[in-house]
Amino acid sequence: MIKVRINKNHIEINGHSMYDELGRDIVCASASSIVITSVNAILSFDKEALKYEEKDGYIKIDILKNTKETETIILNMITLLKELEKQYKKNIKIYEEV
Amino acid sequence: MPMLKLNIQLFAHKKGQGSTKNGRDSESKRLGAKAADGERVTGGSILYRQRGTKIYPGVNVGIGKDDTLFAKIAGIVRFERVGRDKKQVSVYPE
Repeated sequence: MIKVRINKNHIEINGHSMYDELGRDIVCASASSIVITSVNAILSFDKEALKYEEKDGYIKIDILKNTKETETIILNMITLLKELEKQYKKNIKIYEEV
Repeated sequence: MPMLKLNIQLFAHKKGQGSTKNGRDSESKRLGAKAADGERVTGGSILYRQRGTKIYPGVNVGIGKDDTLFAKIAGIVRFERVGRDKKQVSVYPE
């Protein structure tokens, strides 16, 4: 299961969705695409807006600048991940830590 | 920071990473016949290793506590049918 931990300026996503095998795992493909597209979108506005650490089955994002674009894109990313969670409860779980 | 590469299987389970609950087996016990029909054997020779009595002890054949069949005398081995569906092994002196 992919676990998404959201904490004000810190997002940590780790785990394997286990929906299907490598190359056929659509839940993993969706989650990966949502996160990677969002990170790249923010970096295209401002290369210093965030920093990330990425490896197999893991990505950690630290928001460094709360610009309007960054907030909008992060909000959109979380909304999409929540949509994914609704459809694939067994494969992705989101924890919002206040 | 550099842009991320689009790895759409970033959270996919890689082959071989999963654990399997199978993959165990016991040591093979080499059961079965140890002497052939018509073969000459010496007394005490093991004729058949088995679990339970697939084959019954016949003439001049003993059965061990692990159901192993052995020759009581030297002689020729004979596998015989008993009734409709039973088999036995006997040893006849030459």
